[in-house]
This record gives sequence, structure tokens and C-alpha cells, in this order.
Amino acid sequence: METVPLNFYLILSGVLFAIGVVGVVSRRNVIVIYMSIELMFNAVNLTLVAFSRFLNDMTGHVFVFMVIAVAAAEAAVGLAIIIAVFRNKVTVDVDEVNILKG
Amino acid sequence: MQLLIFYVFGFIAIFAAVSMIVVKQPVMSALFLIVNMLCLAGLYALLDAHLIAALQVIVYAGAIMVLVLFVIMLLNLREKKGLITRHKVAMQGIGVVIVAFVFVLIAASMDFVSFSQAGAVSAEFGTVAGVAKTLFTDFILPFEIASVLLLVAIIGAVILSKSRT
Amino acid sequence: MLNQYIPVLFMIVAAAGTATGMIILTTLLGPKKEFSDKMEPFECGVSPVSDPASRFSLSFYVIAMLFIVFDIEAVFLFPWAVIYTKLGVFGLVEMMVFVLVLVVGLAYVWKKGALEWE
Repeated sequence: METVPLNFYLILSGVLFAIGVVGVVSRRNVIVIYMSIELMFNAVNLTLVAFSRFLNDMTGHVFVFMVIAVAAAEAAVGLAIIIAVFRNKVTVDVDEVNILKG
Repeated sequence: MQLLIFYVFGFIAIFAAVSMIVVKQPVMSALFLIVNMLCLAGLYALLDAHLIAALQVIVYAGAIMVLVLFVIMLLNLREKKGLITRHKVAMQGIGVVIVAFVFVLIAASMDFVSFSQAGAVSAEFGTVAGVAKTLFTDFILPFEIASVLLLVAIIGAVILSKSRT
Repeated sequence: MLNQYIPVLFMIVAAAGTATGMIILTTLLGPKKEFSDKMEPFECGVSPVSDPASRFSLSFYVIAMLFIVFDIEAVFLFPWAVIYTKLGVFGLVEMMVFVLVLVVGLAYVWKKGALEWE
């Protein structure tokens, strides 16, 4: 029963984070951008849990716990912002929400 | 055996993540993200993070994604035609490869010889009691500040959604 | 440790098997008679008066959002309850501070009338 080396987890996490980054910069639907950010959160969580396991220290788990709490708070406020923007502009396309542009 | 489980979950996770940013409909994106999160929960279980694996399913895949699906239904978006063309998917692919290359290079260049093989862990590692002991003794201040954060989230979301303009 | 997840695996297999089995069985066994009345949303009832995919009320969203926040509170309470006897009075005080801060939030929501169904 061979175990998985740490680098495998780090590479998987890096690939998922990269997909999240590309999702943020390439999509225009703000909800998909939000979900890409969640994906990056998850990639970071995977790194934290993997290091926690390989260093035999549960601090990483507590950190992931906090990240999940922050993500929930972010979901509540972020989606409320999306709804507020939608009510004013009737769009979720980030290219059309450019009122702050000088 | 562990390696096989890792590959299965890892490839499904990457496939779901790529599908998430490529598909047109936001609902499909959300469902692929749920698949991705469930695969990560499996990987957490593989890493002996039992509480985190359960939280991943309950909070992330359960609660947060339901809220996201809720908002998608609330806004009832009709995706514009031709938002993503084939050309753009190709550009996304190139972007993923370039960005992933950087991260993979960083990950591969690190030399973790000292702990590259997971040693045996105590019976309490990653269980509810184990994490709770760390959380409620060593991390009291972050824990209490988390309550303030949740309070701010409540107030912010209520103000944003109740505003009558 | 991984052996503990075998029941979860069985659960997933059973759930997936039930879902796919139902779909396969209905497509194999079910009669296929397609005519216009059959394709109505309510086969022998009144015709729908509006598009079913219309937007629904924002009140649902406020409730869902508050659910998420208090769900996180419950998630914090759960590990605390597991080691409550070990923590003793100290644990009680620290959780009381946490819960009180969130009760302030609940009181605010209540006073603001966000829970009122319009």
C-alpha cells in the first residue's frame, strides 16, 4: 500500500488554482467568476490539508476551518452584492458594470 | 491503492474544474464545481482530515453551492449567444497550461525529502475531537473573531438585500 | 483509517445505482406515447398561465443567506460539543461569547424586519 507523495498534492492544487485563475480572467459572468474564486479557495485548502498531514500538525485543519467560515461569509455578502448590482443594472456581465471607470 | 484513489479523484477534480470554466450555462458550472468539491472531500479523507472532509461536503458542496444555485435561479439568466466561442476555449486552455506550468514548476522544484512520505499519525489526527482541541485551546482569538466576521456578514447581506432604491 | 469510509462508498454506489437504474428502467419499460396533451406540464389539469422559469422573490434569498451564516455557527458548535467535558467552564464562556455576538446579529436581523415575509 504505497502512499501518495506530497508533491502530487501540491501539483494537483497548483493545477486547480491555475484553472481558477483562468476562470476569473476569461469569463464575463460574475457568478462564474465567483465560483472560480471558490475553486481557488479549494485548491489552497488542499495544500493546507496536505501539508498538515505530512508535517503531522493539525494547525492546518484549523486554518481550513477558518477558510470555510470566511468562504461562507463571503458567499452571503458576495452574492448579495451580485443581486444588488443585478437589480440596478439588470446584468451580471462584468464588462457592462463599468460605472467606476473614469 | 492510495495512489489509485488519488489519481481517480485528482483527474475527476481537474476534469470538473476545466468543465466549470468552459461550459456556457452557469447552472452547469455550479454542478461541476460541486463534483470538484466532492472529489476534494475524497482527497481530504485520503489525507486523514476526516472533519474537514465532512465539512467540505456539508458546508461547501451542501450549503454554499446551494446558495449559488439559488442566486442563479433568482437571477434567471439567459446566457447570451456566443459568449464563449471555440477560439476563446482554446485561449482558456493556453492560459491554464501557462499558469499551471508556473505552479507545477514551483511545486516540483521544492525538495521535501524530509517529509515526502507520510508517516504514521496518532489516532486523534484529523478527527472532530483532535481539531476541536486545537481550535478551542490554541486558536481562541481567531475563533472569537470569526463570530465578528459572521456578524458583519449578516449585517452586510441584510443591508445589501433590503435596500430600497 | 481509510477502511472506515467503505460504508460511504457503499452509500455512493447505492445512491448512484438507484438513480441510474431508475432512469434506465423507465426508458426501457415505460410506454412511449407522445402526443400534445401528454407533453403538457399538467396532463389533465389547467394549462400553466406563466413561464415556470420566472424569477422568484428575493425574500427566499435573505432566508437562504441567513441560513448559511447560522449553519457556520452550528459547524463551530459541533466540535465544541464533542470536547465540551474536557474544556469545562472555560469552554462554556468562550462559546457563550461566540454565540452572543451572533445573537446580536440575529436581533439586528429581527429588528430590521428581514425575516418578515412580504
